[in-house]
Amino acid sequence: MVKYLSKRVFYLVLTLFIVTTVTFFMMKLMPGTPLTNQEKLSPSEIHTIYQQYGLDKPVWVQYLNYLGGAITGNFGTSFQFSDQPVSYLIFSRIGASLQLGIQAMVIGVLAGIVVGSIGAIKRNTWVDTTTTIISILGVSVPSFVLAVLLQNWFGLQLRWFPIAEWGGPSYTVLPTLALAALPFAETARFMRTEMIDVLSSDYIELAKAKGLGQTGIIYHHALRNSLIPIITIIGPLAVNIMTGSMVVENIFSIPGIGEQFVKSILTNDYPTIMGLTIMYSFMLCVVLLITDIVYGIIDPRIRITGKKG
Amino acid sequence: MKLKTLAKVGSVTLVTALGLAACGSSNSSSESGSTKTLTWQESANLPTLDPSKATDNVSMRTLNNSNEGLLMVGNDNKVQPGVAKSYSVSKDGKTYTFNLRKSKWSDGSELTAKDFVYGIQRTANPKTASQYSYLLDHVKNYEAVSKKQMPVSSLGVKAEGNYKLVITLSKPQSYFKYIVAMSPLYPQSEKAVKKYGSAYGTKSADQVYNGPYKVTGWTGTNDSWTLTRNKDYYNNSKTKLDKVKFTVSKDAGTTLNQYQAGKFDVATLSGKQQVNNFKNSPQLHDLKQSSMWYLEMNQKSNPVLKNENIRKAISLAIDRKALTKDVLGDGSTPAKGLVPTGLASHDGKDFADAAEDSNETTNDVSYNLAEAKKYWAKGLKEVGKKSVSLGLLADDTPTATKNTEAIQSDLTKLPGLKITNQNLPFKTRLTNSQNGKFDLVLSGWNGDYPDPITFLDLFTSDNAYNNGHWKNAEYDKYVSDAEGKDANNAGKRWDDLVNAEKVLMDNAGIVPLYQPVLSQVRKDNVKGLEYSTTGPGFNFRDTYIK
Repeated sequence: MVKYLSKRVFYLVLTLFIVTTVTFFMMKLMPGTPLTNQEKLSPSEIHTIYQQYGLDKPVWVQYLNYLGGAITGNFGTSFQFSDQPVSYLIFSRIGASLQLGIQAMVIGVLAGIVVGSIGAIKRNTWVDTTTTIISILGVSVPSFVLAVLLQNWFGLQLRWFPIAEWGGPSYTVLPTLALAALPFAETARFMRTEMIDVLSSDYIELAKAKGLGQTGIIYHHALRNSLIPIITIIGPLAVNIMTGSMVVENIFSIPGIGEQFVKSILTNDYPTIMGLTIMYSFMLCVVLLITDIVYGIIDPRIRITGKKG
Repeated sequence: MKLKTLAKVGSVTLVTALGLAACGSSNSSSESGSTKTLTWQESANLPTLDPSKATDNVSMRTLNNSNEGLLMVGNDNKVQPGVAKSYSVSKDGKTYTFNLRKSKWSDGSELTAKDFVYGIQRTANPKTASQYSYLLDHVKNYEAVSKKQMPVSSLGVKAEGNYKLVITLSKPQSYFKYIVAMSPLYPQSEKAVKKYGSAYGTKSADQVYNGPYKVTGWTGTNDSWTLTRNKDYYNNSKTKLDKVKFTVSKDAGTTLNQYQAGKFDVATLSGKQQVNNFKNSPQLHDLKQSSMWYLEMNQKSNPVLKNENIRKAISLAIDRKALTKDVLGDGSTPAKGLVPTGLASHDGKDFADAAEDSNETTNDVSYNLAEAKKYWAKGLKEVGKKSVSLGLLADDTPTATKNTEAIQSDLTKLPGLKITNQNLPFKTRLTNSQNGKFDLVLSGWNGDYPDPITFLDLFTSDNAYNNGHWKNAEYDKYVSDAEGKDANNAGKRWDDLVNAEKVLMDNAGIVPLYQPVLSQVRKDNVKGLEYSTTGPGFNFRDTYIK
């Protein structure tokens, strides 16, 4: 396990290094400068500002300086937020994004497992049809459309939840639901298919022959085995949530990190672009690592050491 | 067992989340019920509270209400006394003497002329890296200071005692009174700058204030902050509001929903549909902005556009009324010329009206397709072409995209003209404009201060913002006279500027399109809000809730 984890951490660091390098040089190809009034400033003023941000040096020196800083957790200061360290910017805004993402994943996946299982158990009945329709809708309706509809119904019309902003837990309900729709629908679809497969397996027949009740069969045998492919799709779903949250955060005025990322690109805020890219890459790598570990826990036949079972 | 654990954890999370959600639903009550709190929607974050570093509207608006300069700009861009209760200008227009009132910082310390000297020097100091330092370009020795050839102490700003400030200019600047009202020239407490170091102005707590309000609750990156009454403000007894609560809401639909749900007392609308919802409501306020959108034509790299008749044809072929009414539909108005209406007036006459050609057929900003076709035919003959293909560069925002589609549709009515639209992100559009990678570009400009020169200066031959490279010696002379020999003579200077705009329009140096408005909704009980079309815009000093 330790060997496996060390190997994965090494790959994580390598991935982050490659992402940082590629993003850094691509970013330098972006047109324009981060200055607001560049044309009005004298060359010496521009030089001074560039000097302050280290932009006066050759690109490779800037790159090395950046890497050196990043290793020690110094991602520079933002151009958009004057003199604000990027690490502070990320730290102060990541909480809301993470909370929403985790809530949406947990709620979406759990609800998807339940609904998908019910659909499989009640196969070819109206219940199955209903769950299928719900999951198709969940996949096809974009999160930002759902966000606006939820906001309008439950926020403006019924006044059950706040329309926007970030305060107590009630503020998280609508954005969480908007974000949870996709993981819910994807999980439900996969779960249904897997469960149907598993329920028609020989060992389920054997369990039935042994006189085990339906609840027992489903809980002890079918559910567990159906979960394995679900774990596989959690990684990509988490990525979808990260990207989807940019729009949803904007719609619900959530002080998260997603919208800042887009704005930093539009304003050529180099340090923020870099800091957020590294953070997103790190989060993605961690999600994939966790997925692999959980994969092994759920199905002991899959040994994380790579030895034959 | 593991599956069981997973299910348990999941269920607990779900139930807890829903439970907490239900508990928290009562949290959504707004403060707007309070008679002395105004809830205000902002569409962007607050980037800084450092007066030397602010370059955006949100920072300037917050600074304008939490700080006070020598003078202030109020309704109709009129100058009002600020910390300076009076001021005088020398006969040669180069020396401004400000007499300050006794006032305090929010930490209780006394505010003196030295704080203004320090603030202005700090903005001019290259070490500060202020992006608005060019506002000081008329102040004596600024150029040498900005190039690090002279020490910052040699800047033409001196304190004579505690309550007299003298600013010396290198050449007269009749609109300097507006410049001193801007945040880069605000007083700054040396004690605070030194105390907070690099954190100065990066959080509400890392700043001191001398205005009617103090900023509270801003962590530097969060989406809400509050202006709270500053008891140390010299005019505190006249301040009516206790708090102004700012909340960032960037999505237009959400903003409207929040306003309708009573979360905001004041909010900004976006687009035709939203504005139409409030068309006959007294809550809708169409606030003119000192901005102009116009087409620049690349006269450096495209020989066709060097032809004056071609340029005139382009200008006359655009139906600005239809553009503003049917395409934008948000209250924006057709351009009369380059300088927007309501920016500046002289002897009771608005600059835009004074410079406008009232003749419908000769006016270059009228829509006259028949006349446009005549100019077009003449121009084509002169350049020896039968057809022309031009690219139209613009931003990729929904508004700019709609504009380019409308302009493309209008211009292709000119026989043989093909227009290809290119909508790019802002920074890319700007870079392409500056590098001359365009035929036609949709550009916009916001006036820095209420004087026509803030617009007319743009199209002098060597100005960095003159992307089309239109050059006209007569125009340059008028602008140079206004800034030089006539700078001290209000009447002559006005005539110079009016004539300059007439030359620009007559020569179709650029094609002005429309003046945008800020469509704002306000609850009926919000009164006394002051608005100026330039700079920070809103002033809450006299605002109250009835």
